[in-house]
Amino acid sequence: MEKKQIGKVLKAPAPHMVGDGFRVHNFFPSGYKIDMSPFFLMDYGSKIEFSARKEPRGVGIHPHRGFETVTIAYHGAVAHHDSSGNSGIIYPGDVQWMTAASGILHKEYHEQRYSIQGGPFQMVQLWVNLPAKFKMSKPKYQAIKQAEMANFVLPENGGKIEIIAGNFHNIKGNASTFTPIEMYNARLNKGGKADFTFPASFNTGFMIIEGSINVNGKETVHADNFIYFEDEGTEIHIEALEDSIILILSGEPIDEPIAQYGPFLMNTEAEINEAISDYNQGKFGYLEE
Amino acid sequence: MISQFKNYLKEKIQITDEQFDSISADLKIKKFDKNEIIQYTGDISKHGFFVCKGLLRAYSIDSKGKEHILQFAPENWLISDRNNMNNEPSIFFIEAIEATEVVVMPNDFMEQAAVKVPCLQPMHTRLLSNSIRFMQKRINMLLSATAEERYLDFIKLYPNLTLRVPQWMIASYLGITPESLSRVRKELANKHFRP
Repeated sequence: MEKKQIGKVLKAPAPHMVGDGFRVHNFFPSGYKIDMSPFFLMDYGSKIEFSARKEPRGVGIHPHRGFETVTIAYHGAVAHHDSSGNSGIIYPGDVQWMTAASGILHKEYHEQRYSIQGGPFQMVQLWVNLPAKFKMSKPKYQAIKQAEMANFVLPENGGKIEIIAGNFHNIKGNASTFTPIEMYNARLNKGGKADFTFPASFNTGFMIIEGSINVNGKETVHADNFIYFEDEGTEIHIEALEDSIILILSGEPIDEPIAQYGPFLMNTEAEINEAISDYNQGKFGYLEE
Repeated sequence: MISQFKNYLKEKIQITDEQFDSISADLKIKKFDKNEIIQYTGDISKHGFFVCKGLLRAYSIDSKGKEHILQFAPENWLISDRNNMNNEPSIFFIEAIEATEVVVMPNDFMEQAAVKVPCLQPMHTRLLSNSIRFMQKRINMLLSATAEERYLDFIKLYPNLTLRVPQWMIASYLGITPESLSRVRKELANKHFRP
C-alpha cells in the first residue's frame, strides 16, 4: 500500500468574527485555495477565552440552502435553534450535523450558562456540500452526543478514534451522509499511534486541534495547523508526540459546478437568485429572534 | 476599480476607452472600513460616490436620536447628497455598512463630462429621471403603502440586502418598526412556507 504524503501544512489564516460569538480562521475556501470537496468551507475557532457575559454572544438568524453545516465543539457550548423546530446544545465532544438542504433558518449563540461563566472556547464548523439531486431535499438535524459516539479504542493505551461519519475498523460512524465521507475525532495519548486508509480519489485533510503529531514518520505538525494531503497514495500513519486531538476529514469529491452567494451553495447563478427570492418571501419559514 | 465605473457606463452608452480616459482624470478611488462615516450632516461635500464593492447608506438622525435611512447603495449604485449641488450643507450622513471601495467623483462630474463626451448627456438625463422616479415611488410608498407592500417593494429593488444588513436598518428604510417588519416576515412565512 502506498503512503499518502503531506501536500501542504497550512497555518491558521488571520481570524475574523462571525457575529460577535465566533472568532474563526477560515482555512478554505477563502484562506487557502485547496480542493477539499465535498467539504466546501472550514471555519476553525482556535482556543480563546471569552469573558463572562450575561447576554450570550453569537450569530443571529440567518438562512442556509444547498448544503449541510457540521459543528464540532471542543471547548465552550453553543445553543442552536432552527426553523424546523429543532434546537439543542452542542457541548465539548458533541457534533451537530444540520442538513439545510432545501432551506433552513437558524441562529447560534453561546449557551446561557457557558456565557455567564465565560471560559475557553474552541470549535470547528464545516460546510459539507450536497450533490445537485439532494440540494432541495428536506432539512434534517442529527445531534450526536459524545457519550453516544461510535469509537474505536486504540491498542497500548494509545487513545481512541471517535467516528463521526464513515467507517473505521468496521465501526460505523453515527452521522448519515449523502455522499461518502469519513470524519473522525482522533483523541490520542502521548505515544499513541493510528493508521488510516482512504481512497486516493478522496480529498483528505487533518486539522490539529490540540497537541502535536508526527505524520508518516516524516514531518511533525503542531496544533492549529491543517494538513492537506496529496491525492496519490492511500495510507497515513500518525503518532502523537503529546496528548493530541486531530479532526480527520476525507471525502469523495462532488464533481459539479458551484455557485455560492453568502449562505447559499448551489450549482447555478439562477438557483442562487431563486434562493435569495425564496428566502425573502418567507419560504424558509420563520424563527423568533 | 475605475474600470468598473467604465463598464457601468459602457452598459448604458457607447463610450470608447479614449473617451473615458478623457473624462476620468477627476475620478479617484477610495476605500472605507466597515462602519466608517464618509460624510457628515452639515458638510458641504464636493463629491458623490459610485460603489464598486461594498455597501453604503445615507441616513439622517432626528431630534430624538432615531436614524432614518434614505437610501442604500450597494455595488453599481451612485449616492450623494444633492443639497451639496447648491452649496448647501448635507442633511444626510453617508456611512459604509461593509468594507467599501468607491469611485469618488466631483458633484458636477456628469455635466463636465457631457461637455467632452456628448453621448453622456442623454444618459445623465436618464439617470436623473430614474432617480426622481425612484424618489417619487419611495415617497408614495411611505405615504400610502402597508408595511408588507413596502417590504415586497424593497426585496424587489434590493434582493440581496436582506442577507447583508440587520433587520433594524431595513425597518428604518421602510419607515416601520423592527417589530412590524418581523410581523410582516412572519406573515409571509405563514403564507409561503411549505415544510
